Amino acid sequence: MTTMSAATATPLAGDEQAITSAARERLRRRRIQVLIAQLAVAVVVLGTWQLGTMIGAIDPFFFGSPLGIVMRLVDWFANGTAYGSFWEQIGTTLEEALLGFVFGVGGGIVVGVLLGEVPFLADVFSPYIKIVNALPRIVLGSIFVMWLGLGLPSKVLLAAVLVFFVVFFNAFQGVRSVDRNLVANARILGASRLQVVQHVVFPSAMTWIIASLHVALGFSIIGAIVGEFLGAQNGLGLVIATAQNTFDANGVFGAMLVIGLLALGAEALMSIIENRLLAWRPKSSADSNVAGV
Amino acid sequence: MNAANAGMGGVVMTNVTKRFVTPTGAAMTAIRDINLTVEPGQFCAIVGPTGCGKSTTLTLAAGLERPSAGTVAVSGKQVDGITRGASFVFQTDALLPWKPVEANVALGPVFRGVAKREALQQARDWLKVVGLSGFEKHFPHQLSGGMRKRVSLAAALINEPSMLLMDEPFSALDVQTRAIMSNELLSLWEKSRPSVMFVTHDLEEAIALADKVVVITAGPGTVKAVFEVDLPRPRGAVQEIRFAPRFLELYQQIWQSLKEEVERAYRQQVSSNLNRGVA
Repeated sequence: MTTMSAATATPLAGDEQAITSAARERLRRRRIQVLIAQLAVAVVVLGTWQLGTMIGAIDPFFFGSPLGIVMRLVDWFANGTAYGSFWEQIGTTLEEALLGFVFGVGGGIVVGVLLGEVPFLADVFSPYIKIVNALPRIVLGSIFVMWLGLGLPSKVLLAAVLVFFVVFFNAFQGVRSVDRNLVANARILGASRLQVVQHVVFPSAMTWIIASLHVALGFSIIGAIVGEFLGAQNGLGLVIATAQNTFDANGVFGAMLVIGLLALGAEALMSIIENRLLAWRPKSSADSNVAGV
Repeated sequence: MNAANAGMGGVVMTNVTKRFVTPTGAAMTAIRDINLTVEPGQFCAIVGPTGCGKSTTLTLAAGLERPSAGTVAVSGKQVDGITRGASFVFQTDALLPWKPVEANVALGPVFRGVAKREALQQARDWLKVVGLSGFEKHFPHQLSGGMRKRVSLAAALINEPSMLLMDEPFSALDVQTRAIMSNELLSLWEKSRPSVMFVTHDLEEAIALADKVVVITAGPGTVKAVFEVDLPRPRGAVQEIRFAPRFLELYQQIWQSLKEEVERAYRQQVSSNLNRGVA
């Protein structure tokens, strides 16, 4: 019996190996196919655009051209802009966005948890928060530039205000939806009110808060750039505004590209942080879903 | 442990009524005129139909709620805050999903001001007691329902409670796991002998575990009858004791009393659904 099962087990194990290696090979091939198709899309779109401008079907004055954009970026990086090096512009915008993000997230979490924990405050302030939230907050930028001038603070404030509301609503909702059993259990085990917030309410709301951070990050960059549009001495927003005023389509697209890359990088960083913070969560079925097998 | 708990953990409820006010302003009476005594070290099961306010009696004993009328005293002291020396085991396990198992069990000592390292050591000891050595670093979602229940038990017992409040603790488990957990609970209980209030709607479970079974009427609930369970201790396996002649006799008696209430509760529910046009 033992020998028989051992005898049949060996070829079976071989089969198993063959099956998994075949599946792995299929997966690898599929990944390469997807990559090739993605590259093809980029080549076709950019190629058509470039070709169109060269044969005169697309007016490069209004629409720019891929080569023109690259040249413009090379020029900026090499020779700088009218108001300092290009790196300095990127740095300014990043600094504004980052500071706005930090202050907005901090404020949103503090106020959200406070109002979520104290229903009286929530009832008192909810109509006012709704009113402020209903305003198109971008226009606040004009006020901030008037108050704080053309420097960094006005952009940071605008970015922070945009970020604040996103995070606030999530933090508030997160605190409100904490499992009452968990709170009751902690209290029976002897937790003080502060310990309940620290050990139960805040970590529980954290999933909601983290979910809002991706959106908040986008808003912080929007806030910084719109703030620079409205009046600034440097920054990527100013670069775009200048390019617009001189009908430099390549410049607008070039700055746009840089902002897009910055946002992508920040987003990737955010995902890493998110995975670290939410390591305790069960892996969702979407993560373990393997395409093609 | 026994010495510290001597004379502690007894519950005396006198003419306790609890009303809840709904957000629309309507008052709902959950329990009325409950008189109930649990001796220190006694295992008391509370059975009754759905919605009769069984769980409310537990939240009153835990000090999570105040009675609208009457008094609740635990260990001879009137309850006017969170009851000291009580632990609660809920139907759904109240474990923090973001903390590993050992940190969950350590919560009790941490809240009481024990240093973290010391608390974690205690937690690991208790995990050994409930048979979960090797799972200290796992997160709750990585464990089965029965294992999570063991963690809940360890988290409740680590505070060395003089009173253990259990609200249908095993009702979410499958039948086999439930039997195992019942045995486990009995052997743990016999080691430190806290008084227990155990809410269930499984009469077999109630008789197999308890010294005393309290039948609550259909809502608003009040005590209908109290039955002393004189089965000898230690009881041994709960799966086997349910075939003992005395067990069946008690079961018949208590079921007679409980059946009327279950039927009454069912009729109440049907008629209220009819009034709302649901049925």
